[in-house]
Amino acid sequence: MIRSQFALLQRELWEHRAIYVAPIVVAILMILASLTGQISVDAMEHVDIGLVGAANIPENARSAVLSGIMISLSTTFIFAMWILTIFYALDSLYAERKDRSILFWRSIPSTDFETVLSKLLTALLVIPLITFAMIVVTHLAVLLITSVWIGVRGGSGMSLVWGSAPFLDNWTATLVFLLAIPLWLSPFIGWFLFVSAYTKRSPFLTAFLPIAVLPLLEKMLFDSAVFAEAFFVRSIKMPLFVDLSTMESLFEESESFAELANNELTLLGLMDFGGFVTSPGLWLGILVCGLFTSAAIYVRRYRDDS
Amino acid sequence: MTSLVSARNVSKSYGAVRAVDDVSFDIEKGCITGLIGPNGAGKTTLLKAVLGLTDCQGSLSVLGLDPFRQRKELMQNICFIADVAVLPRWIRVHQLLDFVEAVHINFSRERAEELLARTKIPAKAKVQELSKGMVTQLHLSIITAIDAKLLILDEPTLGLDIIFRKDFYSNLLGDYFDEERTIVITTHQVEEIENLLTDVMFINDGRLVLDASMDALPDQYVELLASSENADRARKLNPIFERDVFGKKVLTFEGISRDELTGLGEVRTPDIADLFVAKVKGATA
Repeated sequence: MIRSQFALLQRELWEHRAIYVAPIVVAILMILASLTGQISVDAMEHVDIGLVGAANIPENARSAVLSGIMISLSTTFIFAMWILTIFYALDSLYAERKDRSILFWRSIPSTDFETVLSKLLTALLVIPLITFAMIVVTHLAVLLITSVWIGVRGGSGMSLVWGSAPFLDNWTATLVFLLAIPLWLSPFIGWFLFVSAYTKRSPFLTAFLPIAVLPLLEKMLFDSAVFAEAFFVRSIKMPLFVDLSTMESLFEESESFAELANNELTLLGLMDFGGFVTSPGLWLGILVCGLFTSAAIYVRRYRDDS
Repeated sequence: MTSLVSARNVSKSYGAVRAVDDVSFDIEKGCITGLIGPNGAGKTTLLKAVLGLTDCQGSLSVLGLDPFRQRKELMQNICFIADVAVLPRWIRVHQLLDFVEAVHINFSRERAEELLARTKIPAKAKVQELSKGMVTQLHLSIITAIDAKLLILDEPTLGLDIIFRKDFYSNLLGDYFDEERTIVITTHQVEEIENLLTDVMFINDGRLVLDASMDALPDQYVELLASSENADRARKLNPIFERDVFGKKVLTFEGISRDELTGLGEVRTPDIADLFVAKVKGATA
């Protein structure tokens, strides 16, 4: 069972090469951009890049600036990951029907449950873990470039960059965040899997039409916003953070870096893991994901369109 | 009881269409059964039911299992080639071997590699880079290396040239088949498999119109090649079908002794294709 589940996950990587190609491409672009200075400039929009190199600023502040660089790099990956997850989930059960290989896949000794599970696990675990690995590689590469940049100007990259970068805090927080996003958005992933198993054509359109139209219809007919709340507000209001405004201001206001530094705040300190795993919204979402995934298994098992 | 497949009153409908209509049969171990029928007769639906790929009414047991509910267990011991295009186009040959090795407990990689070494299929090639014939060779090599008890072939040689078709069947017999293994095969090219078969089933409009062993056919069916005058006399013996060949009449009889036809013309056993036409067209005439 475990061996065949690994084989099924391996199949997903063979069939959907974008799972690892997309993060690698993003990593290469980020590293190239960093080489030409664009990332540094972008990340430092609100903070003087000289801060990193300045020997006379407090250690906390330097650490916060480095964390800021690392976050800004991760953000691009996280955005790309979600796009990738959408396309992957929509294609995962559609491609095998389109290329008529479904009969072959159903001729192997695996149940429809195991096959669909491998696709769900790919979206929930494999894609985030590969993205995380590429984020770490990119962080190391960009910080290396930054330390060389500082070295060229006579600073000590070793102590100013490598000694100050909050690797453990940043990477742990990033990993938690990467694993939490697909869980939080799992009802969408379940829906995409179901559409992928069900639709006869254009999975993308079939998946997004209801997401666009239902809130509109609801507003027109009942003047309420349950769907709008569920589709749009939910996707950004994740109860993983102690105080959402802290997170937003971290990206928006220049003072927050200073604030972060002064208060010796860590990224992990901003996260409320207990609150996240006990939030009803998370479990309700997982339930919805389970229902849609079960429907996808049912469709793959019972529909005979091969 | 050595029945590998046992079907009792099996039916399957798609909406108002009864694709398989109250079919009962047994397939014994060590047989090669040909399932012959025109397009849309219900062959593929019946095979899908046997493979557990579709639900059906009635009672169906394959290797003692309920195929639809125990498909995973069943697939450890059944293989099928449903069409040449069934292998995923993006997969590489060595990936396919890795995958099958991981999911099939009965798969022998050495055997598969040994069989593939006899072909011109490169291990690194993607399926989409292979010719149709090579894809079928690949599929058959993999299936031969799985120690499956039952092999189901649905039009396995469709679209292949004559050389590949001949090779396919000679490899099937030489490498795969032995008395422990059983094959069910459907094809339109009946004449190519006629001498391989031990049993034959005809299906038309979802119903079985013939289920017999090949050895029993000469006793049950006889064909008379007669002149027009003799044909009149022969018609009194109730032929099931009649056709014209080069100005002569060919009449097919069921369940009569050859002695009764003595003196009326040339008497022979009909080949499968002619018998099929006689059974199907005769029934509707």
